[in-house]
Amino acid sequence: MSWIREGELSLIERLSANILKAGPMPKHVAFIMDGNRRYARKRQVERQEGHTQGFDKLAETLRWCLNLDIREVTVYAFSIENFKRSKEEVDGLMELAKQKFSRLLEEQENLEKHGVCIRVLGDLMLLPLDLQQVIAKAVVSTRKHNKCFLNVCFAYTSRHEITNAVKEMAWGVEEGLIKSSDVSEALLSKCLYSSSSPDPDLLIRTSGEVRLSDFLLWQTSYSCLVFQSVLWPEYSFWNLCEAILQYQLNYLPLQKAKDLHKEQQALQQLEADRRCVAELLMHHGSGNGKPTDAQSRQEHLLSYVAEREERVQGFLGALQHRRDRYFTDLAALTALA
Amino acid sequence: MALVYECAWRVLHALLHIQRTLVSWFRTRIWNVNWRFWKRALATLFFPVTLGLHNHIHRTLKMGKPTIKRGYRRFAWGLDPGSLEKLPQHVGFLIAEEEPSYKDIANLIVWCMAVGITCVSVYDNQGVFRRNHAKLSDKILKQQQELLGLDSSKYTVTFLNSSNEKPNHQVLSCQMEVRVLSADDGRLGIARAAEQLCRAVELREKSSMDIDVSTLDSMLRDSQKHIPDPDLVLGFGPVRSTLGFLPWHIHLTEFISLPSHIEISYEDFYGALQRYATCEQRQGK
Repeated sequence: MSWIREGELSLIERLSANILKAGPMPKHVAFIMDGNRRYARKRQVERQEGHTQGFDKLAETLRWCLNLDIREVTVYAFSIENFKRSKEEVDGLMELAKQKFSRLLEEQENLEKHGVCIRVLGDLMLLPLDLQQVIAKAVVSTRKHNKCFLNVCFAYTSRHEITNAVKEMAWGVEEGLIKSSDVSEALLSKCLYSSSSPDPDLLIRTSGEVRLSDFLLWQTSYSCLVFQSVLWPEYSFWNLCEAILQYQLNYLPLQKAKDLHKEQQALQQLEADRRCVAELLMHHGSGNGKPTDAQSRQEHLLSYVAEREERVQGFLGALQHRRDRYFTDLAALTALA
Repeated sequence: MALVYECAWRVLHALLHIQRTLVSWFRTRIWNVNWRFWKRALATLFFPVTLGLHNHIHRTLKMGKPTIKRGYRRFAWGLDPGSLEKLPQHVGFLIAEEEPSYKDIANLIVWCMAVGITCVSVYDNQGVFRRNHAKLSDKILKQQQELLGLDSSKYTVTFLNSSNEKPNHQVLSCQMEVRVLSADDGRLGIARAAEQLCRAVELREKSSMDIDVSTLDSMLRDSQKHIPDPDLVLGFGPVRSTLGFLPWHIHLTEFISLPSHIEISYEDFYGALQRYATCEQRQGK
């Protein structure tokens, strides 16, 4: 079963999609695809069959998203916690992933036609090397595409992701690229695996569970959360429409909360900058002992902000380069093998 | 054609809004009607002759006390927390409504206290409770006395307003901690911990390789006074979102939404606890 499914919606689905599209639409939707095993039990089929059908449903859902003009989708494919499952099941899931990512490589033409960029978020080092390589190849080969984006969270938990971002910043400090005072909420957001995506507008979890299970905790702070009781392999177009309706009903208050948060963030940044400038002036100013007037203070502040932004940009550039290199090197390793 | 779709969308949303309003209207109505109905039914059942005096009868019948404590009276209705399979240790109240009712929040906190929950966090993303924490803490004391009566002396509440504040009396006698949280404790709290770690790296006290999930977790736990992660968050209001509620700490938290905290009944609260008790956590397995 392939990643990209061709095909159109039925007349009634198209009509509903068009009505929905008259309102505000989410640009980025995240899914916790829960319920594959329960589905297998319910249908009395093998567990692995449940997972396979779950993947097929993902391909179908991606098509619906495309039809609904949703250009970015993030899915929780495998959590670090899932390594606790039985060896048989973990091996089965790794095999399925390898198969699907290899399949993706065979579909290059199709991916190019739709401009699909695949990103894999997570600690890939925890995976078997052959799977790492296939993933790296898929990521590198679709890197340039920019029409739609599929982020697959694999060997992922949000706490790991946040910790990793802190580590990256600490690395930047060690390398002398940034100062510890440059660390802020905004910078942390840009060091996450998901740095190139906007925060998801809508998060959907299936199978009736009502928790986030360590998925995108940071990014979904102001997203609309929709918990649906349907099992993932039984997910339908109408379930997706229902979730979007929920999003539309929540749109205005969430927008307000987001704006408020942005304002607070800007204020905190300003405060931090002022503090740093005051400290600097204390250091330098103690020599001549003159109190600085408001205007020169403002000038100092502006030049400090410019310096800080330059530092941060340099650091983020270096970080991106390091990440790109990691994938390129891994993919090159396959070419040699 | 686009115009037709837009009209259809507007009609659809208007219908949904009407449905929402009707549901919430019925919710309060039905509750009141039910309450009156049960009072009458019980009175008829036990004292068929004194039908007109059901108010007085109910008082003596249910509580054995001369006064009915609003809210607490419902403990006597067989909703015994002991029958729940599991109880959350730490409950978060996420208030996403424009006009908070301090009295109803205080009621919720006192109910938590009475069922044996040891920690409560009250959160709103605009910092309303942080600014008015004194008002909330007064209301809690008042409701505690009103709902629990003489029993209230058995319970001690430690009230923390900001994460840097020290408890104002010794924790030994305390059975419950109430914290007021705002958006500053969320992402910003994590960023502050990150800055602290980076400063240690800058001073060469630490290396970036020393940082792992447990380092960060213990730092953030310290900033939250070693209180366990919330097991359950009750979201009040029409907004389905965490609105920045402690992102790090909610990784395994169950979210249950209730339409409003205003005039909330003990039954609704108990229903949410019941729902929580049926949630099964597989911890990735």
